[in-house]
Amino acid sequence: MRYQNATAYRFLAPYLLIFSVFWVWPIISSFLISFQATRTVPWRWAPTFNWGRLIGDPAFFNALKNTLLILVIQVPVMISLAIVMAVLLNSPLLKARGLYRFAFFAPVVVGEVAYSAVFRLMFNLNFGIINKLLNSVGLPSIDWFSNVTPAMALIMIAVTWRWAGYNAIILLAGLQSIPDDVYEAATLDRVSKVKQFFYITLPLLKPIIVFCAVLSIIGTMQLFTEPFLITERGGPGGGTETLGLLLYRQGFRSLNFGYASAVAYTMAGLAIAITLVQLWLTKEPK
Amino acid sequence: MAAVTLSNVVKRFGVYEIIHGANIDIADGEFVVFVGPSGCGKSTLLRMVAGLEDISGGEIAIGGKVMNDVEAAERGIAMVFQSYALYPHMTVEQNLSFGLRMNGNPKADTERRVKRAAEILCIDELMQRRPKQLSGGQRQRVAIGRAIVREPQVFLFDEPLSNLDAELRVQMRVEISRLHKELGVTMIYVTHDQTEAMTLADRIVVLKAGNVEQIGAPLDLYDDPANRFVAGFIGSPKMNFLAAKVVETGDGAATIELVNHAGARFKKPLQTTPPAVGADVVLGVRPEHFFDAGQGDCDISVKADVAEHLGSVSYVYADAGDTELIIEREASRHRASGDHLVVSIKAGKALLFDTKGARIR
Ligand SMILES: Nc1ncnc2c1ncn2[C@@H]1O[C@H](COP(=O)(O)OP(=O)(O)OP(=O)(O)O)[C@@H](O)[C@H]1O
Ligand SMILES: [Mg+2]
Repeated sequence: MRYQNATAYRFLAPYLLIFSVFWVWPIISSFLISFQATRTVPWRWAPTFNWGRLIGDPAFFNALKNTLLILVIQVPVMISLAIVMAVLLNSPLLKARGLYRFAFFAPVVVGEVAYSAVFRLMFNLNFGIINKLLNSVGLPSIDWFSNVTPAMALIMIAVTWRWAGYNAIILLAGLQSIPDDVYEAATLDRVSKVKQFFYITLPLLKPIIVFCAVLSIIGTMQLFTEPFLITERGGPGGGTETLGLLLYRQGFRSLNFGYASAVAYTMAGLAIAITLVQLWLTKEPK
Repeated sequence: MAAVTLSNVVKRFGVYEIIHGANIDIADGEFVVFVGPSGCGKSTLLRMVAGLEDISGGEIAIGGKVMNDVEAAERGIAMVFQSYALYPHMTVEQNLSFGLRMNGNPKADTERRVKRAAEILCIDELMQRRPKQLSGGQRQRVAIGRAIVREPQVFLFDEPLSNLDAELRVQMRVEISRLHKELGVTMIYVTHDQTEAMTLADRIVVLKAGNVEQIGAPLDLYDDPANRFVAGFIGSPKMNFLAAKVVETGDGAATIELVNHAGARFKKPLQTTPPAVGADVVLGVRPEHFFDAGQGDCDISVKADVAEHLGSVSYVYADAGDTELIIEREASRHRASGDHLVVSIKAGKALLFDTKGARIR
């Protein structure tokens, strides 16, 4: 038995080694680094230096506010949209289901740079298709990139576009696990389709919805690509800077790893806290 | 309460015709069982009555009203599913009251109905549990309760007992029978178990491959089956079938000789024109219709293979040349395998079929 275990561990060793070096060690190391002043050579142990700065840093609070704003608006909108998409995908009336499933999933596999470039073009002030469409229904053009509110909206639209289909596919799997005869029983109970959705589908889908929400919250807490590439490093003027971007700016532009580590731990801590609250709020009554 | 009438009902899935024109009249308050082998279309027929499947041809009327284009919800029926189909996230009480609540039924009335159903089915103690926390039999009761609460004109059951163990099945069978007496409502019950059909039904509809083979009271089907399929399907253990030949006709009777028992012949009176001399026929004899040697019209000798002693009776599985026979015997506890056994057939207790399976009366 022990010998067998040893063999198993030998097979696991390459993975465990890589996991330790690139996961465990950075996690520990960054925690330690967050307590050091890293703008001096050599680094100096200063437990309150970074964390003290964090508490009073307007840039941090700006990034935190932006991140939470995106989280609070984008995640619910996207999950709702994903549920609607999943229900439509699950409809027996739908032809070519496989094609739609692929189309919904495709944004996830599109390269981030390419997708960001396309979004920048689409939302361009003068020749973007979005403004053309707005004009065609009599609305004025929006300068998506130079005003904070439209820029934030743009980020949310882009993130939603990229991840809604992914969530819809996960939710679809959940929908398909609800037996048909439960709906048939409800039909015979004279419950309308709309009420079936609210009183049967949604409650039975709840664990999957929570799962998707947790994934999305963690993802949004780390949001980086869109504000970096689409609104050009959190523009205009830091209006769309997220915690992920702040971390990047501090760590890799200013090479202030101590402060970046403190930001990273704050992000992780918030993600865990929000997720726990979420799980607690949606707990199944025993 | 309502009568249910199926006239020339046809069901097609794409190009496949599954039900080939069923005609069934079910009286108000009657307990009718659809029985037949797996895949014969019992569930499909029931689901068409419920409105869960479209009707491809013909008409289904409930309470004299044609229901072809009436939504399932409006047909006044309730159905109990084989898989129970309870709402997994609701307590038993919520399961029972869900339909009524969703339709704005007055609260007091809903409570009254739920309470009554719970009393009828003895599930009062389970009201706050969820389906997950119930045994199979309890779930089945809740599923039936949900149907009772609706106070429907017609109850439909699709193999409601097939997920239960044998003992519970007998118990629930009795309860469903009692429920029918208590509510006096029309019930249509689907099963592939002929014992369930025999014990529950006022009338049985025997189906085979989408055709109605025979409709009748349980004992009528047992005593007087229309064809070999019904004869073989109804009754347990099964009817025995022996190859035979017509050797002589006349006087409104045919003399039949068993193919594998030289000289074993007897005269069978017939109401219709007998088949031609030399025609192959099949003789059907129920296990309990083998008599002691010399008591019947013709004796045959068989070799006992295995005997099952059930206490009150024994079933002897015997080798009769081409086929295995099941012979019911009383007090044959000591019979061992390999014994030769002489049994006797009575003309009046043997049924005659042609080679296509149709009954020759
Ligand atoms: N949705 C469907 N599409 C195509 N064929 C179907 C469909 N539903 C049922 N069938 C076919 O119709 C026939 C009858 O099915 P049905 O479910 O009514 O049988 P059943 O008598 O209830 O059998 P069982 O005792 O196994 O439940 C079967 O051959 C089945 O393959
Ligand atoms: Mg069936």
